[in-house]
Amino acid sequence: MAAPVDGVGKPSAERSPFNSTSFQKKTRSKLISIPGTRPSVQNGQLLVSTGVTSLDYLLGGGLAVGTVLLIEEDRYDSYSRMILKYFLAEGVVCRHELFVAAAQDNPDDILQELPAPILDDVAIHKPVDQPRLSCEPQDSLDAMKIAWRYQNLPKVQSALASTSRFGHYYDVSKTMEPEIRQAAKCHHFYLPEHPTQSSTTHSPMIESYSALLKSLQEVIHREGFDIAASMPKSRNILRVGLQSLGSALWGDDLSCHDNPRHSHALTTFLYGLRALLRSSLAVAVVTVPSHLIQDRALMGSITRLCDNAIALESFKGSERETNPLYKDYHGLLHVHQVPHLNCLASQLPDHKDLAFKLKRKQFTIERLHLPPDLSETVSRVSRGELAGATMVASACGSGTSGTKHLDF
Amino acid sequence: MLSELLQGTDTGGFLVIQDSSSCTGRHLLKSFINAALNREENIHVLGFEVSEEELAEGLNTSAPQRLHFHNAYSDPLGWTDHLTFTVHQFCFDELTHLVKQTSQSKPATLVIDSLSWILRHQSPPAVCKTLQQLKRGGAVRAIIGLLHADMHQKGTVGSVCHLTTSVITVAPGMKGDEAVAKITKRSKSGKVMQYEEIFSIKEDLTVIVQSKPSHLEHKQTDPEEQQMDPTAHLTFNLRLSDTERKAKEKLALPFVFSKEKKTALLHSGQGSGRILYEPDANDDYDQEDPDDDLDV
Repeated sequence: MAAPVDGVGKPSAERSPFNSTSFQKKTRSKLISIPGTRPSVQNGQLLVSTGVTSLDYLLGGGLAVGTVLLIEEDRYDSYSRMILKYFLAEGVVCRHELFVAAAQDNPDDILQELPAPILDDVAIHKPVDQPRLSCEPQDSLDAMKIAWRYQNLPKVQSALASTSRFGHYYDVSKTMEPEIRQAAKCHHFYLPEHPTQSSTTHSPMIESYSALLKSLQEVIHREGFDIAASMPKSRNILRVGLQSLGSALWGDDLSCHDNPRHSHALTTFLYGLRALLRSSLAVAVVTVPSHLIQDRALMGSITRLCDNAIALESFKGSERETNPLYKDYHGLLHVHQVPHLNCLASQLPDHKDLAFKLKRKQFTIERLHLPPDLSETVSRVSRGELAGATMVASACGSGTSGTKHLDF
Repeated sequence: MLSELLQGTDTGGFLVIQDSSSCTGRHLLKSFINAALNREENIHVLGFEVSEEELAEGLNTSAPQRLHFHNAYSDPLGWTDHLTFTVHQFCFDELTHLVKQTSQSKPATLVIDSLSWILRHQSPPAVCKTLQQLKRGGAVRAIIGLLHADMHQKGTVGSVCHLTTSVITVAPGMKGDEAVAKITKRSKSGKVMQYEEIFSIKEDLTVIVQSKPSHLEHKQTDPEEQQMDPTAHLTFNLRLSDTERKAKEKLALPFVFSKEKKTALLHSGQGSGRILYEPDANDDYDQEDPDDDLDV
């Protein structure tokens, strides 16, 4: 069971516990109020933002704590890496703890490339300026000549005990400042630097995955993320980012061979990961290079083993790049699975044809609009001609463009 | 783009030349070796597929001590007990030892002819791991490998090419001695650029690029902030001279109250209402995003 928000007969229309007034609703039970989370309006699960607000909306408000999000990588692993960075940056901003595991890049390098949050109300860890009272009138009044009415407002709008916003925006062109980043606690797992122990037990999991699972379990237990652990004063969420599982650098031949020898290594690992996460206050994002995995049945079982699954398909390098239909977007996004946690039916997204675009300040996911179906005489000519031209280049015969105006 | 690649891969670069049975990439590989020799680099060649004499044909042999050929052609699996390079020696420690033994001064370029041979005798994850370690380590400056794409499964080729910084896929061209090269180059910042060029190789192993490259460039991360001075290029003067600035500062502003009145007003302002707003899905729509024309 994923971590529900404790509540006896909690109505779904309850307000978020991070209230802005001092009014405290009297409830009999204690709610877990963790910064950066909010309960879902659909089923009361505790939700965490993925860092991309459009993706939160697609997944039904956010990622439920205790679940796994699978991202199938695009061909050059650019956008999936971007989403992983957004996820980790959101964890830094919400003051969650991070656990990053990678086999190709050093986790330190990944953490240094996190995008900078667009700050208007992000609490930076500096001592909050108390609003200056009349003890020093001269200094305070001289500071602002024209906007002196805003003197006494604090410069950094500190959140009241927790970030009041759920989901932040990031500027991709800048990297996060070191002091914000270092305020977050981070655990690394870098496979080349991890001592390899050859296991004597004959398990279907390969050594790198079992080492990763053991390391994660140890971190969860040590830092007190277990739900069953005695409740310390403040609880926090652990964000787990696993990059490129299933690639050859993890020692897995899933992406190399059509009939892999370790066909059950990754699936066993995901099963163990999900079991571990269900009993702890943690969320995981796993990226898998699915374009290299040829066994579709295995890919299907990997998808089923994760709670949420999305696939990114970027237009770069494919013939769709020049298609005028797709010129506003960078790629397509397919939602392969949404979770049903403690409920019978899950909230499916309304539209299946989604496209994404990475802008500087936002990663937008939108419904892919086809151009309106106008009659022949009105100017559909530009799109139709272009589409016809690209078809002619690849297909046979130049007569296709001549049949534009047909008379019946 | 092909000429830029020939002029030298950056440190830590891994270039793969993908060929197939219809068009061989070995001539292009030899051009790369020749270009590196002309740049006075140390080159180590692991030759599995062709013998040393055949590979050295046409190369610039002015400085033979810079080109080290490790013979893996005569006995690649080590069946006889001769001291040749075997395929089992393709691991990080042995390769580093081999490279360091012969050239001490500067890091060398490693040329592998061909990766397909190694992939048939060692498991692809092990080969990928070795290549990744070589990419990071200090003994080898750059790696150039030849890969026969039609000899392996798609996943294997994809996994190896996933580690590369550039991939050149050669295909037969229209005319006899021409070939088409599709180049995919990955830069450190994450930009992926693709080019397509027609080239031919002359007798002395120089590459002539026939057509203009048609590149499809996409910048993903890292657009540069354009700092524009708004006071430039105007028909009226927006800048201030010193006297003008002093006069501006001396000007008495309206609504400038005395200090007592200011403090009185400021104190009464506490406890007023606050506006708190949680952005919802409609806020994602940014109508006038000035970054829309940036190719991010």
